[in-house]
Amino acid sequence: MTAPHPVVRAHRLSARFAGGGGVGPLDLEIAPGESILVLGPSGCGKSTLLRLLQGAIPRVLPAAVTGSALVDARDALTSPAAGLADIVGVVAQDPDTGVCLPDVEDEVAFPLENLAVDPTLIGERVDRALESVGALGLRGRDTSTLSGGEAQRVALAAATVTHPRVLLLDEPTAMLDADGMQVVRRALDDLRSATGAASVLVEHRLDEFGDAALPSRWVVLGRDGRMLFDGDPADMDAPIARRLLEEGCWLPLEIELLALTGIRGGLDDDRVAAHVRALSMADEDADSAPVSDSAVLRARGLEIAPGASKRRSSKRPAPVLSGVDIELRAGEIVALVGANGGGKSSLLHCLAGVARPSAGAVTGPRPGLVFQNPEHQFSAHTVREEVAHGLVPGSLAQVDAMLDRFDLLPLAERNPYTLSGGQKRRLSLAAMLVHDRPFLLADEPGFGLDRRSAVVAMRALRDAARDGRGILFSSHDLRAVAAYADRVVVIADGGVAADTTPGRLLRDAPLLRRARLHPPRLLQWLAAQTTRDDELQAILARLDDVVLEARAQVMAP
Amino acid sequence: MREQAEGSWLAARNPTVKLALLLAVSTAVLFLFDPLPLLVLYAAALAAVRFATRIPWRALLAAQLPFVLFAVGILIVNALSRPGEQAFDAPVRVTVEGLVVGAALAMRALLIGLGAIAFWASTPAREMMISAVQHARLPPRYAYALLAGQRALESMPRTWSTIRAAQSVRAPLGRGGRPKAGASAFTRAAFALLVGAIRSSERIALALESRGLGDGRRTVWRPVPLGRRDAVLVAAVTCGFAAIIGVWLVVVPPMG
Repeated sequence: MTAPHPVVRAHRLSARFAGGGGVGPLDLEIAPGESILVLGPSGCGKSTLLRLLQGAIPRVLPAAVTGSALVDARDALTSPAAGLADIVGVVAQDPDTGVCLPDVEDEVAFPLENLAVDPTLIGERVDRALESVGALGLRGRDTSTLSGGEAQRVALAAATVTHPRVLLLDEPTAMLDADGMQVVRRALDDLRSATGAASVLVEHRLDEFGDAALPSRWVVLGRDGRMLFDGDPADMDAPIARRLLEEGCWLPLEIELLALTGIRGGLDDDRVAAHVRALSMADEDADSAPVSDSAVLRARGLEIAPGASKRRSSKRPAPVLSGVDIELRAGEIVALVGANGGGKSSLLHCLAGVARPSAGAVTGPRPGLVFQNPEHQFSAHTVREEVAHGLVPGSLAQVDAMLDRFDLLPLAERNPYTLSGGQKRRLSLAAMLVHDRPFLLADEPGFGLDRRSAVVAMRALRDAARDGRGILFSSHDLRAVAAYADRVVVIADGGVAADTTPGRLLRDAPLLRRARLHPPRLLQWLAAQTTRDDELQAILARLDDVVLEARAQVMAP
Repeated sequence: MREQAEGSWLAARNPTVKLALLLAVSTAVLFLFDPLPLLVLYAAALAAVRFATRIPWRALLAAQLPFVLFAVGILIVNALSRPGEQAFDAPVRVTVEGLVVGAALAMRALLIGLGAIAFWASTPAREMMISAVQHARLPPRYAYALLAGQRALESMPRTWSTIRAAQSVRAPLGRGGRPKAGASAFTRAAFALLVGAIRSSERIALALESRGLGDGRRTVWRPVPLGRRDAVLVAAVTCGFAAIIGVWLVVVPPMG
């Protein structure tokens, strides 16, 4: 299947961590210059595979390893420290820790210095590496001032400046907004054709990846860390697609629809399109709660200054947001969308009373707020104590009921930090909802989660709204916004650009551009095919149901 | 203050040289117990720092406030607690010896503080670390880990306020309508910060290694220069110091 001299050759390769989790055993050969995509549910060992090929396991991260892994004929499992740096380039997920030095040029020059490249040649190569990812303009910048998308492009330049034979990309766009995602993905595309390096890409949000940008060879890992599929996605059959969906993976639209209908071809196929359209008929019991005016959370004329609100400075910087008027009523669920750095989080913090606006006022009962990173909110040593935190003593029954509702009872005695991403998110929601506040604010509740966990989190918010709470959540995931929000508040250009409905937002191209939002293909199609919001939402809700139902069937026997 | 010192004469000097001079001066003044020469040294240093770093007087004086408070503390403690001849009539006993020694120690603190400020304001972390590798033979593994760590450290205050805010959401409200924040809340936030810091340091270590930072031979692309002007700095500081001490030794007869 591959060329005679594969650049990566893994045989019966497996790794198991002492704390559980791991990957393999699996066989994998990658030809020079070949690109592969590794996908699978969270916890299946995708990152572990990359760290094996990078030479970090078992030397830096101890694990029980069997089998062999050769990268360009060098043994990755016994390589000395930094021993593969000349042939392997790595880009990790977190832009904050993936870029290490204070200066952009030093960051890109650093790998060359470490390989003892002649200093007179380094400047030229740094420039070319930055240019190849469209980041020449970032030369001379301080890395702490870079946006996520810029930082990831610098990391890409640093990973390719050595002309590696293999490029390992561990969810390089997972923490970026739509804009950042696009520029990094474009850079990836260009690099793949320009460098001739083989690449192994682990990606999460495949539905938002342009179809053309995905490698044509996929390696699919199952929950047990073994290989389910290795080949061209065009050859993938419906049961494998279905299994991926069941295990909670985000899938490109065509594969998701293959899992659903058993038919290949995506929305361009009439039968698939008809099937998707028919979903709007299937679900009629969506009883949205009556929106009441009994309680209102109201912001008037809010102005939010950048950085910490208590900064004393003689010259006041221009506000991030100004003139913000927002109303949130009991029983409704409202989405907050807009580009990164636009002030969505700051706005939520002001509404929750944990930050002070520089002007304006918030009135209404004290809301709850679920932060983007659940770990920031953790205060206790067990899951049960975490939910009970801040309640009056003797609320045990209430706590256990909440744990049960979020499927956390079996984990009640675990330390919150040891949970998976989806479990942490459920815990943070449970710990906030147990407080019974009339309003709940959530900052990116689906961030970094697999599809199933994201759906579970959004459903929890929807249920809370049906119980009569007012919900306001920020999100980059326009599909979640379209599926669950009654209203959308669009943040752009330092203020509220629109207060509209999901359907209207999707059909308003100028507004989308202004707010730098890029709806995925499914939403574009649905916006054109449907006329009413409830139709659109019914279809999206049914598509999410499939993820949960399939799981229920798997778990039932 | 760092922005103000950027591009100044002192900012262009070699960091290792600056650090060595700071250490040398700090050590030398440990042998001075007379406030007067220390006062002259301090005044000379203040003027030199002002013009070598181009930090405005106001900012330069404001930055020294912590050292001033520290120095006043030293003076008061010594004046009140050191045995000796009573200096003047007062409800509390203040001794001449206490005032003299206290003033000397206070001036010493001010002088070292001023040196530290000048060094910090005129030395970017990158230059310091690269110079330490080149000129002080610090192993690159430590230097670059420190540099990366320093970058992570800079983001900590922001993370800290996020964690404090995140935890205050569930805290019961106090009398003023603000969330209560006690010592235990502080401990919990510190724990969350620590867990996050350990995680990100692991990721940084992995990133540094994946870029080839090891024990082997390496080159430096943009080395930090060490040149004649650094010799001028050494000469200026040494001569200035020696001149002031020399004049004092000759003009003022030694005590006792």
